Amino acid sequence: MNEKGKSLTLFTFLVYLFLIAPLLIITVTAFGQSEFLKFPPDSFSIRWFLNVFEVEMFMRTFLISLEVACIATFIALLVGIPAAYVISRYRFRGRKILESFFLSPVLIPQIVFGFSLFNYLVIKLRLPVFTGLLIGHTIFIIPYIIRVISASLANFDYEIEEAAVIFGANRIKTFFMIVLPNISSGVVAGFILAFINSFNNVPISVFLTGPGVSTLPIQMMSYVEYYFDPTIAALSVLLMGMTTVLMFIIERSLGLSYFTSK
Amino acid sequence: MALLSLDDLTVSYGDNTVLENFNLEINQGEFVSLLGPSGCGKTTTLRAIAGFVNPGSGRIVFMGKDYTNIPVHKKQFGFVFQNYALFPHMSVFDNVAFGLKMQKTPVAEIKKRVQEMLELVGLEGFAQRHPGELSGGQQQRVALARALVIKPDLLLLDEPLSNLDAKLRVEMRVEIRNIQQQLNLTTVYVTHDQEECFSISDRVVVMKDGKIEQYDQPEVIYRYPMTEFVARFVGFENFLDLKEKDGRLVTNNGIEFKLDRNDELAKYRVAVRPDDIVIKEVGGDRTANVLTAKVKISTFLGKEYQYLVETELGEFVVNAATVNRIKNGEQIELYFPEENIRIVKEAL
Amino acid sequence: MKYRLHYLLLIPAILFLILFLVIPLFITLLSTVRTDGGWTLSRYPVFFQDFYLRDIYFRTLKIAAITTLAAAVMGFPTSYYISRTAKKYRGIYIILAVFPLLTSPVVRSFSWMIILGKNGIVNDFLVRIGFIGEPLNLLYTEFSVIMGLLYLFLPLMILSLVGVMENIDSELLRAAESLGASRLTAFLKIVLPLSLPGLVIGASLVFTGSLTAYTTPMLLGGDKTQVLSTLVYKNALALFDWQQASLVASIMVITTFTVVISINWFSGKFNRGEAG
Ligand SMILES: Nc1ncnc2c1ncn2[C@@H]1O[C@H](COP(=O)(O)OP(=O)(O)OP(=O)(O)O)[C@@H](O)[C@H]1O
Ligand SMILES: [Mg+2]
Repeated sequence: MNEKGKSLTLFTFLVYLFLIAPLLIITVTAFGQSEFLKFPPDSFSIRWFLNVFEVEMFMRTFLISLEVACIATFIALLVGIPAAYVISRYRFRGRKILESFFLSPVLIPQIVFGFSLFNYLVIKLRLPVFTGLLIGHTIFIIPYIIRVISASLANFDYEIEEAAVIFGANRIKTFFMIVLPNISSGVVAGFILAFINSFNNVPISVFLTGPGVSTLPIQMMSYVEYYFDPTIAALSVLLMGMTTVLMFIIERSLGLSYFTSK
Repeated sequence: MALLSLDDLTVSYGDNTVLENFNLEINQGEFVSLLGPSGCGKTTTLRAIAGFVNPGSGRIVFMGKDYTNIPVHKKQFGFVFQNYALFPHMSVFDNVAFGLKMQKTPVAEIKKRVQEMLELVGLEGFAQRHPGELSGGQQQRVALARALVIKPDLLLLDEPLSNLDAKLRVEMRVEIRNIQQQLNLTTVYVTHDQEECFSISDRVVVMKDGKIEQYDQPEVIYRYPMTEFVARFVGFENFLDLKEKDGRLVTNNGIEFKLDRNDELAKYRVAVRPDDIVIKEVGGDRTANVLTAKVKISTFLGKEYQYLVETELGEFVVNAATVNRIKNGEQIELYFPEENIRIVKEAL
Repeated sequence: MKYRLHYLLLIPAILFLILFLVIPLFITLLSTVRTDGGWTLSRYPVFFQDFYLRDIYFRTLKIAAITTLAAAVMGFPTSYYISRTAKKYRGIYIILAVFPLLTSPVVRSFSWMIILGKNGIVNDFLVRIGFIGEPLNLLYTEFSVIMGLLYLFLPLMILSLVGVMENIDSELLRAAESLGASRLTAFLKIVLPLSLPGLVIGASLVFTGSLTAYTTPMLLGGDKTQVLSTLVYKNALALFDWQQASLVASIMVITTFTVVISINWFSGKFNRGEAG
């Protein structure tokens, strides 16, 4: 293709090297033998992978992160799907504004949101930290759910719902028998996007964690402060493995074009 | 009494009023078509009957009962959508069975009736396929079967054939008409294809801008259009204005026109089809209903020629099976036989 | 439809957001203008009179601006290349851009700690070729924060741009060239204006992202190179100065909204100008 030229190809290659090399470097480093992070390692081992499972806090916080991400995503789906449904199916005054409102959590700096929520829920209302953590994560992933579900609903012909209604199904039956099965891939993708974002979150969690309640990313941050050995690199590789699996599911359910068509 | 009647129905989308004081009556077993150009409100009328849109005012009476506020899913209506709207995740069998399942029909009976219906529309072997694995015509038949299987009180079809190719369209419309007569189904059918509509309907509603222009049998509409709009729709291309003068009707340039008239008006607008005007040589003895004209353009249509001619009253289109083509610029006379002239209401 | 019951479905989401987003934020914002007996706006000017705080504010803006510029410079040609690649290979580029995006920011920032650290690859290389004698302090500098943020947000820029550039018809370019436009002119007159919406979206995502990011500045900037988000954290949980934390938080919110609104306003104005 002559419209692309050699220098452009080289440029793209370098940019992608920039995107990929750091993750490759982590991966290689994780297989090192020595106590220090070194690239390339002098000799290889899997001892740091084993060490990940030795650090009790990692295992504990991994489970907490998993729990928070699952529950928060589930609540966000319960709250978000009905809202997304009304927004994409009905035309009413203020619809656009409401939509922006539902998507607004992404506009608020997360650190500010975390701080405000901590101030309000934990200090003022004296709710348990864990509850605050759940609520914080739920709120900030609602936009992901609403966006993905709206996109799936937009691709699902409204007349099909009307067909169900005229052949005797009420609105609720129609939703569960006709709509839900047809947007299931959107629901799966929304679940995963929300899950990943909750699982990886730091700025909100950093305020809403405390003694006994911490998440894996927070734990990793404090580990890095004190230790500079390849354990974190090994853990990173494991997490990338998880990302790969989840991404595969998104690709299957939503198609990657979702990411380029906003 | 009519099976279905729309009384003074008004339907709007926001500020856009689509139907205003709309009145329509349909009898038991009748096949009625709504015909009109795009955007005239055909779909809206059908959707109002189904209950998908709520009228701002007016009533829908069905079988003597007020149906205006009955929820859609409680009505026993069949609907065939323009894009079929089949359930993509269900097999053909489940699509057709859907309405019966909702009515809690016993499983054995569902099986029997769905089978029968699939046979009727010629899809016996396709029960386990999904809509995505069917051709357009087959999907159309599934949509029809799904609507018919519930033995609907009323069958509503919104341009069901518009996505099919020409040959299939003709086949399917014959089929729909046959089934409709076999089951004696009252049917409302939306289309903007004039030929399709005339060939299958008992009565036709010609609509324009949310109003009924004429509601009658196809033959009557074809032969006796009541408005200029309907006349143009069914192929009248020539229009003339006449006015009363000394008890006679004359054109603007004073030529007398004789025609059948019942009501005594001061002004008339009349319409004539291109085929119904007779071309004569100049100098005949008749003077009434005759205009002199000059040929501007002639086109060979196969069985006849089409001439665009110029008169003092403007241009006319005339079809004539003359042996030789009349040359451009030649003077001729146009004779408008009295029985071919229709009086129409002027377009606004 | 008649009874409009379906609007009830909106209530849980609205209630959630009001209770847990609007009210907490409002309380934070309010606390910055409350005094014991009344109201004051004086805390804002005081913030900007403090050299130390003002430095942090403008450093944050500077870092966000440089990151955005770098992302645009790196992202634009790359996205153009991707958009001109055959459809079946485009997916690979998209996957490779999305993957880092879905990877934990801790992991992504950590990789730059390995790269830029005292014993990191960069220092190692520079020492080995004799360019420098002692390893440089690359970490905890504006440079390391910018690298980390660029790494974090470049995929967003690429995805936004590819989304728009994909829809530019190659025929259009060929037509322009056949009409005598040089490749550069065709690029400037066709590709650039048509991809501007993507550039605007990408730039606003990268800019606001960099402005508010926490994890990366924390790991790669630390105490030495503070930005607003790390300042909020430090004030709240290290110094327990709630008042100051709220003030910084409010300044962040106001800055972010100003940026988002002006970008929307500008691009709206621009688009209307184009159409007219
Ligand atoms: N959901 C809607 N919201 C707002 N306006 C609508 C809606 N549906 C239809 N309209 C408007 O109502 C008018 C009538 O539309 P309708 O769909 O009934 O026309 P139609 O006769 O079925 O046309 P077509 O032959 O194109 O299907 C049109 O002007 C259309 O723009
Ligand atoms: Mg229509």
